[in-house]
Amino acid sequence: MSEKEQEIVVKIKRFSQDKGNYWQEYKVNVDRFTQMTEVLRRIKTEQDPSLSYRASCHMAVCGSCGMKINGEPRLACKTLALDIVKKYNSNVITLEPMDYFQPIKDLVVDLDDFYDRMFKVKPRLYPDKEVLEGKAEQRLKPEDQRELWKFEQCIWCGLCVSGCPSVRNDPEFLGPAAHAKGYRFLADPRDTIYEERLKILIDSSWRCTYCYQCFNVCPRDVEPVTTIKKTRAHTRFLKDRSAVAEIGEKHIEAIEESIKDSGMIKEAEVYLKTYGVIASLTDLIYAFQNGKLKYAFVKEMKVKNMDQIRKIMGD
Amino acid sequence: MKVAYYPGCATHGLSKDVDIATKKVADVLGLELVEVEDWNCCGGGFLDERDEKVHTALNLRNLSNVEKMGLEKMVTPCSVCLQSHRLASTKYKENRDLRKEVDKKLKEANINYSGKATAEHIVWILVRDVGLEKIKSNVKKPLTGLKVGAYYGCQMLRPEQVMGFEPSFHPHSMEDLISVTGATPVSFPMQTACCGFPLMGSNPKIGLKLAYNVMNSAKSKEADIMVHPCSLCHLQLDVTQLKVKAEFNLPWTMPAIYITQLLGLSFGFSAEELGISKIAQQILKEKGVI
Ligand code: SF4
Ligand code: SF4
Ligand code: FES
Repeated sequence: MSEKEQEIVVKIKRFSQDKGNYWQEYKVNVDRFTQMTEVLRRIKTEQDPSLSYRASCHMAVCGSCGMKINGEPRLACKTLALDIVKKYNSNVITLEPMDYFQPIKDLVVDLDDFYDRMFKVKPRLYPDKEVLEGKAEQRLKPEDQRELWKFEQCIWCGLCVSGCPSVRNDPEFLGPAAHAKGYRFLADPRDTIYEERLKILIDSSWRCTYCYQCFNVCPRDVEPVTTIKKTRAHTRFLKDRSAVAEIGEKHIEAIEESIKDSGMIKEAEVYLKTYGVIASLTDLIYAFQNGKLKYAFVKEMKVKNMDQIRKIMGD
Repeated sequence: MKVAYYPGCATHGLSKDVDIATKKVADVLGLELVEVEDWNCCGGGFLDERDEKVHTALNLRNLSNVEKMGLEKMVTPCSVCLQSHRLASTKYKENRDLRKEVDKKLKEANINYSGKATAEHIVWILVRDVGLEKIKSNVKKPLTGLKVGAYYGCQMLRPEQVMGFEPSFHPHSMEDLISVTGATPVSFPMQTACCGFPLMGSNPKIGLKLAYNVMNSAKSKEADIMVHPCSLCHLQLDVTQLKVKAEFNLPWTMPAIYITQLLGLSFGFSAEELGISKIAQQILKEKGVI
């Protein structure tokens, strides 16, 4: 072993139809250039050909090598073995298939559900008829290009969906990657099916819980949650809103009004405007039962220099 | 040590007990919390969806007030306020187009932000700046025998590249703080999962389900209570807990108190002085802690 090489212990959570789940350990020598896909290749070719995993490009563009490395959803090719050793101060590295998706064998999972979600948002540009017929050209302004660029970078790896709690608990939520893709076309001035996209995206956008897991794990810095926030800003343009979108919009309007009015969120007021009197009273009863009612009536403050707040908020 | 203190709206409202306990604990530890002068709401994690520029400018207004006070660290007990300010200052630094527009707003409102002041979490200050040893030396009443679930929630940890204090998948600050009180820290599978609070304004059904998942996960590892680091998690896991109990027909509760409320108990303050809720008091009594 050369001086700069180091032995790591790789613990892989394996799965097969007949054996179910089990853990297996391998030892591999790595240096500072060794990617986790290379670690897997060495295990497969030199130690255990029965191991299954997916990888293709080895450069973070094909999106096939998503898995959990020490519990973190990551691309194996974009992860250097020794960076993980350093981060966790241990030469033992665990590999598991991505959460949420069904495992097929070992680290390979079934991505059909992911693709279904992606296709639901019509992931391509619907240009003008004239453009399609070659009679006109559509150019994108640099500022529009800059707005869309980040959200264009998705490589369909599924890591964000594997980490998303809303997808897991709410079958009507489209998931972070589909929202990133949907917004990328919703905000593209060359696209012609804005209304249809709104109908697909708005209700679902109010089903995200803003946990920032998708932002955290995306290997391409797409920030799906940012696109969901930006999509919600379009709710006011949709006429027929679902109950979830309707109450969500009311809630955020109440928050905005409260800040405009006092520079603060006045909880009681926001509550009342969002849920109405009856629901608010029920919650007051819960607060009473838990001895918290006194805090519901704490005297609310107001920003002194409201002039600054008004200037910032544009009134 | 003197730091600027940003309570945030919830901490001055329904989560007032977080404010009370945090100030008491800071006092004992010689940590001087000076409230940010004339602070405004950070947008509560929501305002940026209406207008990113307004959101950024409002957050920078607070940070500029911190600079005016001659301070650089602005500490908050609320993870949402923390994340809101950190996202705003990061975006301001990294997004040239946004910065131009925000600068225009700041100028109109006569606000100067140099970029020096940043937001920090009270947990970070306690663990890193005050130090576990110093906290331990103030423990008068070790909470022996109490099993405390270490709950982190979302926004103190994520996005890791913006928060940066500890690894978001394997954090340990809360366990460290629980340990010094003499209680037994309990790690559980859902400790970094969302409590569901942000969904309560649009999709409360799933919001309550997420809260249940967290509580149930702590229960499965035999925690008696949980501690958490956020004034909004506080609303969800405290008052809303009784709703979760009713909705899922639970024979048990999993009360969640703020981390400084736990520290305060070990420093010898009474549960009433720290504003601890009734359901938490009940469990603490059963366990012989109060
Ligand atoms: S948004 Fe990011 S994490 Fe999600 S599928 Fe696309 S590249 Fe992967
Ligand atoms: S922020 Fe929203 S989309 Fe992203 S992981 Fe959390 S719930 Fe899912
Ligand atoms: S192998 Fe293509 S993204 Fe990793």
